[in-house]
Amino acid sequence: MIRHRSDTLTAWALLSPALLVLGVFGIFPIGYAFYVSLHRWRIKKESVVGFGHYAKALGEPVWLLCLVAGLALLLLSRQLRSRATSAGTRATFLALLAVGGLVAVRGFIGMYETGDLRLFNAFKVTLFYAMGTIPCEVAGALVLAYLLFRILTVRGFFRILYFLPYITPMIATAVVFRTIFSPNPGSLANRFWSIFGSSNQRWLQESRTVPALLLQGMGIDVYPEWIDTVFPSLALLCVILYNIWVYIGYDTVILLAGLSAIPRHYFEAAAIDGASQWQQFRHVTLPLISPTLFFITLVAVIGTFKAFNHIYIMRTAGAQDSVDVASVLIFDQIYQYHTAGYASALALILFVAILMLTVVQNRLLGRRVFYGD
Amino acid sequence: MPNGSDRGISQWLTYAGLTLTGAAAALPFVWMMLSSFMTRGETLRRVFLPAAVQWGNYIEAWSEEDFGLYFENSLWIALLVVGGTLLFSLMAAYPLACMEFRGREPIFVVILATLMIPETVTMVPNFLTVSWLHQVSPFPWLNSWPALTIPFMASAFSIFLLRQFMRGIPGELFDAARIDGAGHLRFLFQIVLPLCRAPLLTVAMFTFIGSWNALGWPLLVTNTPAWRPIAVALQKFVSEAGPEVHLQMAGAVIATIPVLILYGLVQKEFTEGISMSGLKG
Amino acid sequence: MKKHKVVWICLLAGILSGCVGPEQAPQDVADLESINPAGQEIVFWYQHTRIREEALQEMIAEFNGTNPHKIQVRGEFAGGYGDIYNKMVVGLQGGSLPDLVVAYQNQSLEYHAADGIVDLGPYIKSSAWGLSEAEHTDYVQAFMQQDQIAGGVQIGLPPNRSIEVIYYNADWLQELGAEGPPESWQEFARLCRAARDQPFSGNENKERSLGFVLDEDASRLASMVFSRGGSFLNEQGSAYTLDTPEVRASLELMAELLADGSVEMMGEAYGDQTAFNVGECLFILRSTSGLPFVQEGVESGVGFEWDVAPPPHTTPGPVVNFYGASISIGRTTQERQLAAWLFLKWFTEPSQQARWVQASNYFPARRSTQELLTEYFQTNPRYQRAYALLDYGTPEPAVAGYDGVRRMISQAVVKVVQGGKIDPALQKLQREANATLEIY
Repeated sequence: MIRHRSDTLTAWALLSPALLVLGVFGIFPIGYAFYVSLHRWRIKKESVVGFGHYAKALGEPVWLLCLVAGLALLLLSRQLRSRATSAGTRATFLALLAVGGLVAVRGFIGMYETGDLRLFNAFKVTLFYAMGTIPCEVAGALVLAYLLFRILTVRGFFRILYFLPYITPMIATAVVFRTIFSPNPGSLANRFWSIFGSSNQRWLQESRTVPALLLQGMGIDVYPEWIDTVFPSLALLCVILYNIWVYIGYDTVILLAGLSAIPRHYFEAAAIDGASQWQQFRHVTLPLISPTLFFITLVAVIGTFKAFNHIYIMRTAGAQDSVDVASVLIFDQIYQYHTAGYASALALILFVAILMLTVVQNRLLGRRVFYGD
Repeated sequence: MPNGSDRGISQWLTYAGLTLTGAAAALPFVWMMLSSFMTRGETLRRVFLPAAVQWGNYIEAWSEEDFGLYFENSLWIALLVVGGTLLFSLMAAYPLACMEFRGREPIFVVILATLMIPETVTMVPNFLTVSWLHQVSPFPWLNSWPALTIPFMASAFSIFLLRQFMRGIPGELFDAARIDGAGHLRFLFQIVLPLCRAPLLTVAMFTFIGSWNALGWPLLVTNTPAWRPIAVALQKFVSEAGPEVHLQMAGAVIATIPVLILYGLVQKEFTEGISMSGLKG
Repeated sequence: MKKHKVVWICLLAGILSGCVGPEQAPQDVADLESINPAGQEIVFWYQHTRIREEALQEMIAEFNGTNPHKIQVRGEFAGGYGDIYNKMVVGLQGGSLPDLVVAYQNQSLEYHAADGIVDLGPYIKSSAWGLSEAEHTDYVQAFMQQDQIAGGVQIGLPPNRSIEVIYYNADWLQELGAEGPPESWQEFARLCRAARDQPFSGNENKERSLGFVLDEDASRLASMVFSRGGSFLNEQGSAYTLDTPEVRASLELMAELLADGSVEMMGEAYGDQTAFNVGECLFILRSTSGLPFVQEGVESGVGFEWDVAPPPHTTPGPVVNFYGASISIGRTTQERQLAAWLFLKWFTEPSQQARWVQASNYFPARRSTQELLTEYFQTNPRYQRAYALLDYGTPEPAVAGYDGVRRMISQAVVKVVQGGKIDPALQKLQREANATLEIY
């Protein structure tokens, strides 16, 4: 880290062109969207509704306040935990934890009951989608990048091969995947599935959740309702697979760039010291590539919560609303229902959610990044 | 040291696994190429291999929809966007990574915030901005390169990526440079820039791809074919009764070629680590 | 916390600088008769591509060269329907509006609500520029009504329409012993089952033999419901009628046939056409704009005699679902609006209509076009057969938000047809569809 105090002017000067462009074309739209979200707005501005759209989406404000209060109490209890020495503070900590948790949960239930169910569904689906794609994508890319960087000899060919999914135009990848995962008995997925003796599935058009399908496959037709709601649908799983497939090469390329920026002598030194491949990976590569890994994870989180194109194109009526992530809901609100005001409110809610996630990620993971200093 | 036969088997397994998954990776691309050589009837019947190679599809795709013009437009637009992005992102990442100044962390979050809003919602305000700029500026924005390039010349993604790389540059280098009498600017362009080859090329490539595939925004800010990019030409092979898949795929292959070439060039630069020749110990 | 503050300040700055484009002053309907459209240059946004665009551009060139007022039209490809909608949205908020724009009814409704397009009524009725009584009635009235909203306001003029028909494999029908396409749904079901049991002689993949491939698209259900005398919207247009005996009958029949293997759901885009082309499927339900595609598909497929017919019906005569985009006139200046109207009027004259439908494979909106199509009918007998159905058309609802309801309908169709319980599905559909009406 370079520490020189007179640099503020230079710093802002260097930042200014980018900030200008980003400010005008990146930040202003957010402000504009907020302005739109305060109105009834189809194509043109109509009446002012203040935070009416937000209330419609998130539920009665009292429950949102409840949730926020509960979370604040939980945070407070976390602060206390580090100082929970005496029995008195311990008791306070536990009390705060319990009360905070209860209040937060009650708040959330209230929101769910009075808010827009489609938004809650969208967030649920988005969460499933993120949890499904990010770990596989990042881990897979790491393995792939390492293999393509250190282990193999025929690297160039494989590098291009794994990048193809990302650069092949979506019109081609979507058609192929929809054909592979079509409900027809002759589709690739069904033929593959029949090797295991299982019956045809509807894949991209299957709105039932995977556990539900398993249970039904075993002949159990009656099961608690929550099994249908708390898990991702088969269609969503197919969409997740599609996206992992597309973006794993993308992440691999970034990691490859990261790997190739590591000074060679670190690897050489480790090899001389007799470290195995695994040890080299764990103690040399991983720390040195952690800045890039942090980047990919952060960008992946933001990207998956905002993801649209590669999900929208895989949407079918059969999937009902089990692949409708937040950005798809926003898109529908604009292009099918023509309600730009409400759509903007949803977009702002999504924005705040992603922002909070990023800040939390930054705090949690940012500290563990090793910058080689 | 791992013994020879162990290494052989694990290598073989690795290659086998990679080839299999690689086949899955290449499948749509292969399908795209095969379809581009089929006749329309063959695409309607969903055959797997064309009976004869229809090179004519490529000629037809190129000549039918003014492909040459769109292709050239895309090249110019991409070049401008990549150039601007590289410069502005490099300049912006440096202070965020290597300098201490007031407001560094918050401004970083603000920059990242621009990534968090879906495009569906930003298109309209950006168009209003561009339209206003078109009215007040001495040169045209709409239907011309400024509207198609300037909004994309800074990207939080690129700034963030470069910042991560720059953070890894040891402080000793700067101290050494300072002793030689270099200020921040010289340090940035003479020492940091060459060290950031890999991430810069990565940024260049992803920016190129993003610009190359853009469809919605170009259609919004242009009314005439004069500056329209290649994605519009591909769109024109889709009609209401159904797409002319064979021509569309031929167009798509033509559109993918520059990206492949660029990637091929870039990945050559991903070598086995850089040599920090300026640094001792 | 400091980070958040900075972010919020920046956002506030963005809000405060957020501006709305200049308001468009509504143009008063001045005295139409005295306006002079001479020399006006107008812009036409369309979504047509390939052959249709070529034909359209040729016709525009002809208009430009021959019209007595020296009006110049510039036709521009403006993207797909979604892209055109985007352009109109920004145009209405401070950009520039086109003089002529292609729009589906749910879009033109929005444009009109935002004061972006004009009522064509005064132009139609104008003594100097409008349509004569004979010309006006020459338009298929059902088409004209589709573009009318409350108060008789005409928000678009239909240049063409397509209708949904049953395509059937005539050779196979003969093999099954039928004399012609089914006229009742029971006959349809019987033939589907027969087709399942007796594959087509030309079918190379005897494993797969179906009567019908069902598409979940709301328009297909609409065809089936209309043919039973039902509709999706009540007469006043104030509520959806989706939980009705006709909808139930349509869905229950499909569910039955799916369960016994004579019908399959469409698995991939154009899956029904693909199956039809190779003789795996006896009937498909599709738009007439697909006629040339099916022709080419069958010829390069297995090759057999095929034809089109109206869907089976319980109503006294056939009923078909028709749809299509219309052309609306943007609110610009009086002179340009009039010039745009004159082009529109010319474009929908029978001789232009004849030229347009032959290139585009749509059906004309002017009845008398028929007289100019005798040769075309001879070389395209199927087109002629479908043409006869123009007068039996019923449209889907043209209310705000219908586009979203279409998706709800598709979801309900898939659910029910694949074995879901029909009562809760239809009740939910009706409830949610009506809820969309309340947003507006």
